[in-house]
Amino acid sequence: MADTTNGGAIVRLENIVKRFGGAAALSGASLSVKRDSVHGLVGQNGAGKSTLIKLLAGLHRADEGTVEIDGEAYDRLTPHLVEELGIHFIHQDRLLVPTFTVGEALFLGRELRIPGTPFLDRTGMRRKSAEILARYFGLSLPQSALIADLSAAEKQIVQITRALIANPRVLVFDEPTAALVRREADLLFQLIHRLSAEGITILYISHYLGEIVDICDTVTVLRNGRDVATLPVAETSATEIGALMVNRALGELYPKPDVIPGEVLLQVENLALAERFDAVSFALRKGEVLGLTGLVGSGAKEVVRTLFGLDLPTGGAVSVNGETVFSADPAEATEKRLALVPEDRRRDGVALDLSVTENTTLASLDRFSRGLIDHGSERRQTEDLVKRLQIKTDGIDALVRTLSGGNQQKVAIAKWLSRQSEIYLLDEPTVGVDIAAKVEIYRLIGELAERGAGILVLSSDIEELLGITDRILVFFRGRVTRQFTSSETSPDQVLADVTGAHETLRHAG
Amino acid sequence: MLVDSPFIPASALEIEAQKSLEPPGSGPAFGRRLATLALRGGALAVFVGVLVVFSAAAPFFLTIGNIGNVLGQSAIAGVLAIGLTIVIIAGGSNVVTGGIDLSLAANMGLSAAVYASLVQAGQGDGVAILGALGTGLAIGAVNAAAVTLAGIVPLLATLAVMNVVAGLELVLTQNTVVPAATDFLSALSAGGPFGIPVLAYILLGFTFVVAAVVQYTPLGLRLYAVGAFPDAARAAGLPIRSFVAGSFLASGLCGGFAGILSVSYLSGSTTGAGDMLLPVVVTALLGTVFSRRLVPTITGTLLSALFVGFLINGFQLLNISSTLVSGVQGLLILLVVSATTLLGRKESI
Repeated sequence: MADTTNGGAIVRLENIVKRFGGAAALSGASLSVKRDSVHGLVGQNGAGKSTLIKLLAGLHRADEGTVEIDGEAYDRLTPHLVEELGIHFIHQDRLLVPTFTVGEALFLGRELRIPGTPFLDRTGMRRKSAEILARYFGLSLPQSALIADLSAAEKQIVQITRALIANPRVLVFDEPTAALVRREADLLFQLIHRLSAEGITILYISHYLGEIVDICDTVTVLRNGRDVATLPVAETSATEIGALMVNRALGELYPKPDVIPGEVLLQVENLALAERFDAVSFALRKGEVLGLTGLVGSGAKEVVRTLFGLDLPTGGAVSVNGETVFSADPAEATEKRLALVPEDRRRDGVALDLSVTENTTLASLDRFSRGLIDHGSERRQTEDLVKRLQIKTDGIDALVRTLSGGNQQKVAIAKWLSRQSEIYLLDEPTVGVDIAAKVEIYRLIGELAERGAGILVLSSDIEELLGITDRILVFFRGRVTRQFTSSETSPDQVLADVTGAHETLRHAG
Repeated sequence: MLVDSPFIPASALEIEAQKSLEPPGSGPAFGRRLATLALRGGALAVFVGVLVVFSAAAPFFLTIGNIGNVLGQSAIAGVLAIGLTIVIIAGGSNVVTGGIDLSLAANMGLSAAVYASLVQAGQGDGVAILGALGTGLAIGAVNAAAVTLAGIVPLLATLAVMNVVAGLELVLTQNTVVPAATDFLSALSAGGPFGIPVLAYILLGFTFVVAAVVQYTPLGLRLYAVGAFPDAARAAGLPIRSFVAGSFLASGLCGGFAGILSVSYLSGSTTGAGDMLLPVVVTALLGTVFSRRLVPTITGTLLSALFVGFLINGFQLLNISSTLVSGVQGLLILLVVSATTLLGRKESI
């Protein structure tokens, strides 16, 4: 558990619980940041880092737990109060008004006035911001430039400068290097050292463990909504931190049945979509779970969309059960027993204000109707599926809106089971669902495979992919750059290819 | 270690594309800037073109007397459009979900009716002024509550309020003209120095004061932040809902003020205030085109009020049917909104 020697802690979060709907994003997380330290915070996607930070920023409110700043407990933090306490944030999404000039963006909320008048001192703001930019960054931005005209790195600098103007005592960096190239990131690290030397406490959130080891003196590891360790960096290593981030009980988490893949269901040859992906070829067999992964924009997601007929490919061929699929038409895809479970299930996957029954039979109403809908057989089918998928609901007439995220996802899958689909395209099937529901979704995927379906899982959670798939295709810059057999590889190996460590200047920690 | 792909905003592909497009030093949005320039330049060119064409066709068009006349005639629509501009600034300029106040014209009608009825009932101008401004403020408060407390999109909330207010006006006036004549009202509608109507000076003065607040004070800067990027405003510690509510109160007051001007201009309250809505919306939307950053501004709205005023005035001088004016205004809305929307889309890619 956290090292909670109270002396010298400038920020202390104790046993924080935060739920969104049914799922707990934080379930008893603690974090104690010592004065003058550079404190790292790491964790997987969904471990609760962002929630914890938003809580400290006063953007969320904890359901349980205490927040102490300088030893004083605060019941309700607001963004304004947090700023007054000297805690400032460099958010990962650059929160700057695009139509503002650099000076206006820097001083928003604490504008300078022309002495003795209520009017903005635009000249003064311009001069002061130029001063600070030159002092910390040796940089001069054209003062008339609008935020919309700046590069990602320049916007980042403006955000940091914004925080520095307020003479902060604590600076929180949330994934600051995600949009920076190596050289810019190095400049940022030098700056952090300097700020630390000037007496500013730093809280540094990143999933690049290399950075954490380089610049932090203490690190806290979050996993599944709680802190699992707080360590001095000098006594640990990136490998050890990585091991702490990953849940070790892989067998329990990923129930994967042994299925011997059968004949080819889906054959993709040289599929291309202009400027998105090119020369993508693979085959999906009966009973096989195939993983796709890649960064945003790598083409993996677009391949899935194209397979379901949402985009018209510019080259290549797709065949299902040996029959070529011609058009970009979801209706034809459905006809060929393809099923898409989209990432944003609340928008595209289920109709929130329809009942479980209505959602389940939505894609297969033909089976239940001869002119009029046969509600009896519709209900029997739904009851059967609810039981089989262990969907937790107040009955089959409950609105899908009232279900937890994981159970909504199961309804989205039930819809296609009812349709008797054979090929399942699952887009980030476990995003935003809690760990218990994740395991049930994994079990469901295994069951589908046992029944002879072919399943394509698109996910950015590599550990998950390794646990539930037979093979993994890695997409990078629109091409399949690597293929792994899931049982014979490790997360680091896959990660290296995902981030293009072998082929790009981007640093991958 | 795992990948948080949503946390990596720019894909490798995008980074590469940016690099090849973007020589060091130049802004990433050169094309957008060019389009903005073209739009602004085009708008000014059309403005000047309209003036030139009309003055060639009707020599009287560009005399001081006529310009003053146009200013005076634009005063009521101008004040309303300034109110609408404040709402658009605070609510953002998204056409569907952004800030809009459709109740402004009806607000002016009811405020005018209240003013005229109070005068008819033997009250003085002071009471009538308070009555009109109070009516406007109350309507603004209802809008503010519907949008910030009930969470209804402004487009729908103010549409509903517009109908309620128009109905109240009918109840109050029995759908008739309520004449009102006082010394104060005649002074407002009289001619001023240089043969320019007093209403023209009122429009200029009002614009000056509101522009000073919106464009030159911290309050105004914050208003822009709330509308343009609420997340950034929240992160800067600004109370977003108060700003949005405040913008509706301000526009409600503008409606009340315009009501007073209209009683003076028409010597009473008349029906048909709703016809004012289209020109007011055109004026406020068109105003963005007259600003450097393509955002709504008070001075831009004044310019566009004059543009619309000159257009109507020119049509009158040339004896072109006034039914055409609505058509031209509708076209202008389509043009401006599609141009700014397209530009906005380009920016977000």
